Amino acid sequence: MIASVFYFLSFVSIFFAVMVVVSKNPVHSVLYLILTFFSIAGHYLLLNAQFLALVHIVVYAGAIMVLFLFVIMLLNLNAATEPVKSSLMKFAGAIAGGSLMLVLIAVLSKINSIQPAHEVNTQIGLIKNLGKILFTEYNLPFEVASILFLVAMIGTVILAKKNPHTS
Amino acid sequence: MNVVIALTITGILNLFGSIFSYRKITPLLSIIGLTTAIVFNSMYWNTNQSFFNHMMVVDNYAVAFGTVCMVLAACLIIFYNRFMGDNDHHLPEVLSVIVLSVDGAIVMVSYTNLLMLFLGVEILSISFYILAGLKKKDLGSNEAAIKYFLMGAFSTGFLLLGITLIYGATASFDLSVISEYVKLNSTSTNYLLLSGVLLILVGLLFKVAAAPFHFWTPDVYQGAPTIITAFFATVGKIASFGAFYRLFQMCFSPIVNEWSGVIMVVAIITMFIGNITALQQKNLKRMFAYSSIAHAGYMLLALLSHDYLGGNAILFYSIAYGISSMSAFIIIHIIQTQTGTDEAMGFAGLVHKNKTLAMITAISMLSLSGIPLTAGFFGKFYLFSSAIESGYVLLVCLAVINSFIGIYYYFKPVIESYFKDSITDDVIKLKSVETILLIFLSIATILLGIFPGLVPAI
Repeated sequence: MIASVFYFLSFVSIFFAVMVVVSKNPVHSVLYLILTFFSIAGHYLLLNAQFLALVHIVVYAGAIMVLFLFVIMLLNLNAATEPVKSSLMKFAGAIAGGSLMLVLIAVLSKINSIQPAHEVNTQIGLIKNLGKILFTEYNLPFEVASILFLVAMIGTVILAKKNPHTS
Repeated sequence: MNVVIALTITGILNLFGSIFSYRKITPLLSIIGLTTAIVFNSMYWNTNQSFFNHMMVVDNYAVAFGTVCMVLAACLIIFYNRFMGDNDHHLPEVLSVIVLSVDGAIVMVSYTNLLMLFLGVEILSISFYILAGLKKKDLGSNEAAIKYFLMGAFSTGFLLLGITLIYGATASFDLSVISEYVKLNSTSTNYLLLSGVLLILVGLLFKVAAAPFHFWTPDVYQGAPTIITAFFATVGKIASFGAFYRLFQMCFSPIVNEWSGVIMVVAIITMFIGNITALQQKNLKRMFAYSSIAHAGYMLLALLSHDYLGGNAILFYSIAYGISSMSAFIIIHIIQTQTGTDEAMGFAGLVHKNKTLAMITAISMLSLSGIPLTAGFFGKFYLFSSAIESGYVLLVCLAVINSFIGIYYYFKPVIESYFKDSITDDVIKLKSVETILLIFLSIATILLGIFPGLVPAI
């Protein structure tokens, strides 16, 4: 049962991810991306990580996707304004991406055991356990991440604010 | 750990500079904060302390690399205030970003957990994206910021996927657990681990600007404000190499045969692309961008050495390279504001305009090209000898050939400043602080070139 759900979700997420890339209309791409995120959230649910699934939907499908849609609508992207890529660029991109895919597929085909490398705590994804480990074992990364966000916030303000004398 | 706290407090204090109207003293505040952090850092020498469940360990390696990064950042802040202070409306905020980015550099050289590596890389990179776009009305600067941001975010994806695969193979983010696992399983080929190593390599090679992941470097280095470029080329590169060497020496040295081929090929391509493309550049900032790519190629040699010789070599090279490129970029900035061009002809007749500046140019170029009696010579000497002891003779031969190619373009500004006549006769006047600092950097270059033992072994 779980296996069939897993294969279904995997198929859906890969299918929509491909559709994001191939669809001509950027708004369609964004909508497909939302569907991809939902199917990935489904994967998290399968792994018993409800909190992660919820955060994933709220942050990505909620906040980031709305931002994306706004940007696309403000930029007024359409086929006419899309930069023309030369076929050489497409060829080079296809070769580079194809080699990476080749390497990853070759690696995955060599892995014959799908046994986990260690005991898996299936309850770790629950919000209580996640909070506990975040504030004990992983306390330092949790705090250091705040420096990261602080830098990002300062940067946004610097870049977005007008210089008083130039305006 | 005190170092990270001191730097963070300094960064936050700077932020309040605009509100409580002490923005004039924020540069001083940043320098004091960095000095305090350097003092705290040097107190950790020979203590080898580990913090917070093995998240960070402050060993001699971390102390040495951290000090180098902080000293260079302090130099940079002094120059930034001198050159930009009056017409920069965001002075406190920019200083705060610079100080906090040094936090990222500290995390990158002292992590013992892949999670911390990721956070350090991100703190440093996000500050860099912001700093690259500081000239908001300048198209080149905008291009630099957006290019750096998009490519950097993409490469971070590779780094993360690599970390994930390694976690999948070893069930831990902790470097000591990973190294135990690799040691135990070094005879059998673990494909999951190897693909993780490969992807982490891609992510880190991007950060150190090695070919074929170097395409962002020339545009970003040229477009960003020159002082900020000095920051990218010194602190950014040194911290990235600190992280790179730490990870590969601590964890993946038992399986060196699996990844040494990749590093060898990348090092050869990087050296040749960097040096040969630099020959054709007219714009000095672009030329130095390619030269920094070439230096990344030399530094990759240290990763291949089997013992701790490589650590000492890469530390010495970082110091030599950091000091010389810092002064080179500062001089380019001075010339650029004076003559309005960042091409080599701006240096024409520099010796008649300012003798000290011409002298400092010559010293830093000699050091970058690796001429004896400068720090750059011993930097290359240590790197090459550590690679030869590990048996990479052919690689070292190619590196030596590349050093000779490098001499040609490093001498361009020197020849311009000593043997060409200038178009204008304006005398370049420097403030005493700038002159003292530049002379200090040159003296350090020469001292390290005569007494290389001044840098302690780690």
